[in-house]
Amino acid sequence: MKKPVVAMVLVGGRGSRLENITKSTAKPAVNFGGKYRLIDFVLSNLSNSGISTIGLITQYEPYELLSYVEHGSTWDLDVNQGGISLLTPYTSMDGELWQKGTAHAINQHFRFIDLYNPDYVLILPGDHIYKMNYNTMINHHIQSNSDITIATFKVNDNPSRYGILEMDDQSKIISFEEKPDNPKSNLASMGIYVFNKKVLKALLGESIEDNFDFGQDIIPLGLKHKLNVYGYKFSGYFRDVGTVRSLYEANMDLLDKPHLLKIQDYKDFPIFTKSVNLPPHHIIKSDKIYNSMISDGCLIYGQIIHSILSSGVIIKDNSVIIDSIIHPNVKIGANCHIEKAIIIEGSVILENTILKFTEVTVVDNEFLWKLGDVHE
Amino acid sequence: MNSNIFAIVDATFKDNLEQLTLHRMPGALPFAGKYRLIDFTLSNMRNSQITNVAIFPYGNYRSLQDHIGSGKKWDLDRRRDGLFILPPKNLYISPDEMITFQRMYEHIEFFKRSSQDYAIITSANIVWNIDFQDCLEEHLKNKADITEIMYKNIRLKTFLISKKLLIEYILVYDTQEYRTMLDLVERAPNLKIHIYKHQNYTRTITDTFNYLKSNLDMLKFDIGMKIFPPDRPIISKEKTAPPTKYLKNAIIENSMVSSGSIVDGTVINSVIARDVIIKKGATIKNSFIMSNCVIEEGSILNYVILDKQTIVKKNTHIEGVLNNPYVTQKEQIVSSFENLKVLLVASESYPFIKTGGLADVIGSLSRNLTKQGIDSTVILPLYKKIRETFFESLKYQFSRTIIYDKEKYKVRIYRYQYRKVKYYFIDSFDFFETENVYGYKNDPDRFAFFNKAVVDLLDDFESFDIVHCNDWHTSLIPILIDNSPHKGLKTLLTIHNIDYQGIGKNDIIKKLGITDFVLKDDNINFLEIGINRASKLSTVSPTYKDELKYEYYGKNLTYSLLNREREFYGILNGISSSFNPLTDKAIKTNYSSDNIELKLENKLYLQKKMSLKVDKDMFVIGMVTRIVEQKGFDLILNSFDELLENKNIQFILLGAGDKKYIQELEKLQERHKDQIKLNIGYDATNPNYIYSGADIFLMPSRFEPCGLGQMIALRYGTLPLVRRTGGLNDTVFKYDPITKKGNGFTFNNYDANEMKNTIQNAYNLFCENKEDWNKLIHRAMRSDNSLARSTQKYIEFYNVIIKN
Repeated sequence: MKKPVVAMVLVGGRGSRLENITKSTAKPAVNFGGKYRLIDFVLSNLSNSGISTIGLITQYEPYELLSYVEHGSTWDLDVNQGGISLLTPYTSMDGELWQKGTAHAINQHFRFIDLYNPDYVLILPGDHIYKMNYNTMINHHIQSNSDITIATFKVNDNPSRYGILEMDDQSKIISFEEKPDNPKSNLASMGIYVFNKKVLKALLGESIEDNFDFGQDIIPLGLKHKLNVYGYKFSGYFRDVGTVRSLYEANMDLLDKPHLLKIQDYKDFPIFTKSVNLPPHHIIKSDKIYNSMISDGCLIYGQIIHSILSSGVIIKDNSVIIDSIIHPNVKIGANCHIEKAIIIEGSVILENTILKFTEVTVVDNEFLWKLGDVHE
Repeated sequence: MNSNIFAIVDATFKDNLEQLTLHRMPGALPFAGKYRLIDFTLSNMRNSQITNVAIFPYGNYRSLQDHIGSGKKWDLDRRRDGLFILPPKNLYISPDEMITFQRMYEHIEFFKRSSQDYAIITSANIVWNIDFQDCLEEHLKNKADITEIMYKNIRLKTFLISKKLLIEYILVYDTQEYRTMLDLVERAPNLKIHIYKHQNYTRTITDTFNYLKSNLDMLKFDIGMKIFPPDRPIISKEKTAPPTKYLKNAIIENSMVSSGSIVDGTVINSVIARDVIIKKGATIKNSFIMSNCVIEEGSILNYVILDKQTIVKKNTHIEGVLNNPYVTQKEQIVSSFENLKVLLVASESYPFIKTGGLADVIGSLSRNLTKQGIDSTVILPLYKKIRETFFESLKYQFSRTIIYDKEKYKVRIYRYQYRKVKYYFIDSFDFFETENVYGYKNDPDRFAFFNKAVVDLLDDFESFDIVHCNDWHTSLIPILIDNSPHKGLKTLLTIHNIDYQGIGKNDIIKKLGITDFVLKDDNINFLEIGINRASKLSTVSPTYKDELKYEYYGKNLTYSLLNREREFYGILNGISSSFNPLTDKAIKTNYSSDNIELKLENKLYLQKKMSLKVDKDMFVIGMVTRIVEQKGFDLILNSFDELLENKNIQFILLGAGDKKYIQELEKLQERHKDQIKLNIGYDATNPNYIYSGADIFLMPSRFEPCGLGQMIALRYGTLPLVRRTGGLNDTVFKYDPITKKGNGFTFNNYDANEMKNTIQNAYNLFCENKEDWNKLIHRAMRSDNSLARSTQKYIEFYNVIIKN
């Protein structure tokens, strides 16, 4: 059964710089904006682009992610032919297959791609925040008669974190360097690629044991072979939230710069997320709710200032939440003061707790226990 | 394990939710911000492991279908069993008390095919959280034939019955006397009925009051927890909206706000659905706001239900009360309506001229509109009778020439101001100088001329926001406006009685100078033209509106009305507060609902006046009516000989009308001299003697657009016994022997036997259970059929018309 495009979504990353946020879950399952998880963006983008043949390649702590994605019905991706296939590491005649990098992971599951015999393969990281119609990029790929197209964005600070590329007037890529010490431009790769399937197969076929990663190995290899490698400039809001700080800032952008991601304006390009089946939140009494986002199922007695509350959060009397992000089902007792914290799902904060930080700090039960030890 | 119960969800019942259910069924009504009413019933099914569910809808079930889809959300999308929507064979089947066996018979295959042994029959408008497995356990333990599930003293129209027994009753639907499960429980002998009392918060949503109230109840913490417990979730269709966003000026007190909303105003004790925008400085109290509404700066809302996509413009103040909330209509734009200007046009209006109920409605509506801040003007023809009685108080304004049939006619305009209502009279020697109001060969010409004159005179008045026409006499105004410089002016045509349509020769169109009209035959039908051309239509009760979809009621105009179904409303008339047994000087002894025992003195006085046996234990049936076929005299003549064999029943009638019936009634009186007293002629006795003195007020009408008699009787605590039709069905609620609720007695079919049995049952209650009887009187006297209420509905409706 032939499909024109197969999307391969890489969701195996640990996101180690996210500290305890990813202690027991993969980065794509991280909560965002009160009711989303990072993977909602890529799957909603696919759904909104009408691409419904998707391989989801997992590795690190997959359970939460797998049970969240299920058949993909949340994103209307539970179609009869194609849909979401969960691709896990497996053992075979050739031994245990443990992914050593992004390209390595795709290569391991190439038989899945062959199943649909697509013209184009779309490679997508599963943990970025952006709204994008992939068809525009694929059309760009087709029109420029490209072998490989790389989506790019303008990076303003610290370009050395990214793969940096140089393009000519026709958007053809002249050079590409992964995490260079002295970046030649501020144009960075988003880690999103469109490959002609044959080209991808050929490149991966060249000694995969040495070529694990798209950025490090495959793209430079393509350039070396003088393939047609083009850039696609993406001008919308894009965040790769690799650190606690960048995750926090992206959340706060929803409050302070709602015009960037336009999450409130979801009719034309919705970001789908799994429903929690909770009633609307109930603000029982509150002196102050100020510039905040609050999700379903919350019960609120305290003050919420410039914060984001996920579903099922309980905030008791006289507690004040400032500049914080509260993940689902957190219970905060009376007379607490929380400032500049990310409180991890399921944490219980006893009454009279003061958590005032100047730098964003991740708080989970472990953190709280330690805090308790100090008090004793 | 899957349940041994299959479910029938009744979505066929009738409701009093007004415009909220105009385009959706009650089950599809939004609730608590993100739910629909049917979510409760379906989630209860799911949480009780019920896997086989049939929904019986009527009318427009698009929004219900849209919401439930394949039932997947409730785990009802399955290979075996699942969710079935079983539509009625007749799409325009009228709503009933609850689903009938006949309706079930249409889909008997579903019942036969179901593999479960027990059926739960419940409805789509209950807010509750219940485990039906518990009901089945109790049902089996008590070896009951039928278990009725109730909450406190509230009947929920929810029953548990074995499949075998249910099918037995369905199969004989056409030969048995039981139409519904309610009938079975109340009347069927030899059935073991068990009552299961559900303990947790439960409400059935049947009117705007309990709709708003139950929504606000969710703000009470303990109730919310019982309705939405984590282990028995209420599941709804997923939407994709982001979390609610609060901006800098938000002030929130005890409220629920759903996803996607953006709040920058004040919200107190309210429930806000998805994607609502509340702007800075707006205040919302005690209200339920449905999705996608926008409330602009500076608006104040209190006790309001805003239907979806309502836009409240800047600085608009809308105020309802809890038991009569202000309700908007989907996609309405509401702005300040202090300066709303209404022109009422009719052929008659109290106190100037009256031949029937129309005059009362126009007179009282115009006065009450001004009371509620609306600028209202009435235009009437100046009949000879009005001139004779009122000439000294009429002020001459100006003269105009009206062209009709190429002739020039001079009209003089007079004015009369009563409180703040402006009445204008059109004086034309050629057309209105007649002894009577109607009954002339040239009536079509007379009223066509009247319509033409009204539209020509629009130039002379300040501009109106809306022209409210009434009955065929003013039905050409919309088409005349379309053919005038005032084209675009909104019109409302109210149909008070479809029997009078105004048939005239088709040359009237030419005489009026109308060009955009295609003549179809030799005659034109005034009312039909009005129905086709008015901006919106209304009639005088919600039930009559529904009935007009059938040819039995709607006659030749059924299809014209069906074409305009979406623009057609039913607004119940009300009665003046001057009908009050506490202040009525005409009656023997004044009384109120606090001392109904004093009503008895009026009964004894009435018996004495009527020269009937004076005895408090006699059962007095009263009637005040026109004596015509419509009013059900065939039923009376065919059953009263038998009924009056009971010498404890007396019958007192006041009325005038059809000679044929009067003769027959007189013969009946002859046969039962000491039990019947006829008062023939409108002034034969004071009607209030009967309203205050009778035990039962009889109205067995074949059809009844609204009916005022039953409303007056209710206010005087005389229990109405009526056929369930038109306005009678909207005002009289039958006595329920199980919950003791209701305010009168009703029967369904136009059938002498059914009426006789109902009277007999009422008599039995009267003799055997004085306590219940008095409760009914209490309830009757507290029924709210006030003019203020109906006027408010008209104002809401005017706003719908103008702002769309």
